[in-house]
Amino acid sequence: MKLVAHLEDLLYQAQHTPVKEDLRLADWRIVVNESEVVSLGIKDNSPGSVYTPPSYSQSESGEIFLVWADGKCSQAMVQLEAHDDQAYWQQELSQWRQASYEDPDAAHIPTPEPLPLVTVEDPEIQTIISGDGQILFDQVKRWLMDKPSEPKMQGSIQTAWGYRHIRTSTGLSVTYQQSQFVSWFSFDSLIGGSFAKRRLSRPEEQQKLWERTMNLYDALQIVAPPVGPQTQVILAPSMTEDMLGQFILPNFSGDRVIEKQGAFTKEDFLENKLVFHPHFSLIIDPLCPLELGSYLVTSEGVPAQRTVLVCDGKLQTPYLRVKDSVRWGAKPTALPHGMSGLYLKHQAEVPWSQALEAVEDGVLILSVLGLHTQEAVSGSYSLSAPHSLRILKGKIVGKTDVKLTGNFFADMAAPTTKTALSELDTFPYLVIKTGVQSL
Amino acid sequence: MEQKDIKALVLSVLGETRGFDGYVIVRAQSRREWSMRISNGRFERVSTGADSGFGVQAFTKDGASGFATSDVLSEGAGQKLVQKAIQLARRNEAIGTKLNRRIWEAPEVQAEEKNPAKKSFGEIPLVELEEMAMTLHSRLREVSPEVVWQTSYNQVEEVWCIGRTDGTNVSFVIPRAVVMHQGTVRDQGKAQSTLIHRSGMDASVLFEELEDHVLERKALDRASFAKAVCGAPQLPSGHYPLIIDYGLAKGLAHEAFGHAVESDHMNESVLGEGGKIRKGLRVARPGVNIIDGPLVGDWAYQPYSANGLLRQTVTIVRDGVLEAGLGDVFSAEEAGMPATGAGRAESYGNVPLPRMSNIRLSVDRMLSLTPLEHLMDEVKAVRETLLQHGELIEGEKNLLLLGYRGGQVNPKTGDFVFQCDGIIDVADPELPIYQPSIFSGKILSALEAIRGGIGEGCYDAIGTCGKGGQSVASSGGSHRYLLMDADQQVSLGGQHA
Repeated sequence: MKLVAHLEDLLYQAQHTPVKEDLRLADWRIVVNESEVVSLGIKDNSPGSVYTPPSYSQSESGEIFLVWADGKCSQAMVQLEAHDDQAYWQQELSQWRQASYEDPDAAHIPTPEPLPLVTVEDPEIQTIISGDGQILFDQVKRWLMDKPSEPKMQGSIQTAWGYRHIRTSTGLSVTYQQSQFVSWFSFDSLIGGSFAKRRLSRPEEQQKLWERTMNLYDALQIVAPPVGPQTQVILAPSMTEDMLGQFILPNFSGDRVIEKQGAFTKEDFLENKLVFHPHFSLIIDPLCPLELGSYLVTSEGVPAQRTVLVCDGKLQTPYLRVKDSVRWGAKPTALPHGMSGLYLKHQAEVPWSQALEAVEDGVLILSVLGLHTQEAVSGSYSLSAPHSLRILKGKIVGKTDVKLTGNFFADMAAPTTKTALSELDTFPYLVIKTGVQSL
Repeated sequence: MEQKDIKALVLSVLGETRGFDGYVIVRAQSRREWSMRISNGRFERVSTGADSGFGVQAFTKDGASGFATSDVLSEGAGQKLVQKAIQLARRNEAIGTKLNRRIWEAPEVQAEEKNPAKKSFGEIPLVELEEMAMTLHSRLREVSPEVVWQTSYNQVEEVWCIGRTDGTNVSFVIPRAVVMHQGTVRDQGKAQSTLIHRSGMDASVLFEELEDHVLERKALDRASFAKAVCGAPQLPSGHYPLIIDYGLAKGLAHEAFGHAVESDHMNESVLGEGGKIRKGLRVARPGVNIIDGPLVGDWAYQPYSANGLLRQTVTIVRDGVLEAGLGDVFSAEEAGMPATGAGRAESYGNVPLPRMSNIRLSVDRMLSLTPLEHLMDEVKAVRETLLQHGELIEGEKNLLLLGYRGGQVNPKTGDFVFQCDGIIDVADPELPIYQPSIFSGKILSALEAIRGGIGEGCYDAIGTCGKGGQSVASSGGSHRYLLMDADQQVSLGGQHA
């Protein structure tokens, strides 16, 4: 019997015919993920090394949220046990009861609403999982054949496929299939490329990603002149994503705002305070087909919808889970999955090739050390970025090591900040004026 | 699931591999976790969880490997995984993977370690734990209502059993518990947060804290410090004589040094040459030592590796000279070091990698310091100690870096960065406070700059090692403070000079 069926039976019974009155449920919610994952890696140019062997994993686990008859709540992680008999589950129910706590704002299970149609499954991925996974071995072989001779290559390909089940006491009963394909590679752990979506990457995407990485790797072999105080800083798309993930997204978490632990206050949102330059908007969009952050329904049973966090530079709403929405006095919003599902838009975005031509004196930041150590609430950063790329007169001319000092909120509000579109990434290049000096 | 039950399951699954001409490692793990978070006087979350399963690593007779995992801890599931792992190993052999037969050379080990916890996992009911955590949280809010406080308590028990084709069967229990206070303060339109913890093996940490309130005092002091940091100026960037606290020293030893001597990193490590550890290399001044090994009762305690070898305590640097690395059975020999049982994994679902447990840095030249109850009193005592020993350099800033917010290192280039909570100039009798700024440079230069320690050893700085995308408990420390000379290859960020 499937875990979701066990749980549904157990919780339904506890709601309507409990074994003990103390164990009577008023409401409940279940989310169960069944997944199969196949992966293969490269370590130091070796495919499938002892540290990155071809791997298969299977799991069936989930989370429950319970509202007891006295209004108390419980939440627990659950998995299918070998001895999943009636007595076992009753014992679990008693333990969940013991772990109950008072949280009136959380004790709400949304009533079902129509779900949007969003494609989150690529059937080809299921074929890989149920077949021999040859595509993984072929891709790794191709990478190793095409790589330059000098660097040590690291990499990984992972495919995942499975079912997501969501059940609530208010009548929601949804099961759908979802898939995932994630691949990345790097040379000497200094430069690399990655792909992560709910579908397989297309040959032309793989080719373009490889060519871009090779061009940047070649540029890193040349020593370039140092930066000066007027040098423009350009964050590569992955860096834009990392900076937004460190400084911006955490401050839009509803619970942080409500608990006054974020950079913005509730009043800032209610007054639609201008915090970014008016050209910027920030959106959570789980409706884009086959994107990693796309979904049909949240684990709390809220249908996917598009939520604008910042419109024309002004705060609109934090992202709100059910509990936070009750406290905020609004409906629950879309939720990001990590950074997936978040989109930064700029009204004057141009293609990267065009933006690059316009850079007289710049430095392209591919990665920084220690970003996760920076203070998210203040937005201030002090970072070292060895292995950055110098840009002079519209051309990438070689490697340079720099240190960055500034404040990301100030960067997002500055009229000098621009973005450039990357055809391979969901986040743009971010062109900023900030403190930069040679390392 | 109990230790004996898991052991029986592993034996039974291994019994099914008798006809296979290769080698199999079976890892089984059963994990229980209770956690709670209180924010502004209300429970935000109380959660219970359990996770258990098998990880099977199979090797063909020539040494190609395959790995299969499942979160069902049953005999049937284990047997299926063995077949799947063997199938993957054979596929791997066909693509010309680098073969590795080191596991055949590993010594056979039989061990059943007792759970070192003083209080068993469920001995204190969850309701009582909630009450204790709420009491601690409420006290903080009463004393310091202007700070936004969040208190968390987390208790974990992991039961592991590792069985191998050669008859090895090792089982042990890892208990861990931590109570944390996070405070967010605002001043002059700026916000800062501070996080402070107390760790141990079990619910004893809550009982101890309720009795002595050590964490509470630290949290209040750190919140006051964070408030002062809000309005503090930035330092000009540059190269300064530094005093770092033991949390930062743990970060330095772990990120900058420990990772660089792990046996799987020797091809990409500044401390490797031709894939082998640069044994005999002078990396620090005489008197500087770095040791790694598990400590009973510590956050990162693990008595055996995830490959079933005894975890040894290793002197990585002795008297300033690189002596040994952290080797697991698969890559130690190739890296020119002995296998010391360094393989650790987040869970049954991950392939073990060589990594640290508790790493500690000590210096023979130690200035004594009596630990004081309050932070700024201790900082004053540090200044007085330095003055007394003629260690403060006239006319120069001597900067004490407080708190460890994490760091990152590129082991290939030797570049490192660390972040602290804030900085105090102990050369100035006013003890002015500055904004935190990135502490960065080259790892060998940073080690070479260490000139002494202040105070006795403190090894309870905790963290999570993220190597290979896994999350594994790590810990360590040094003297209460470490003294470092100014070095042109080690700098503090901040404003342009």
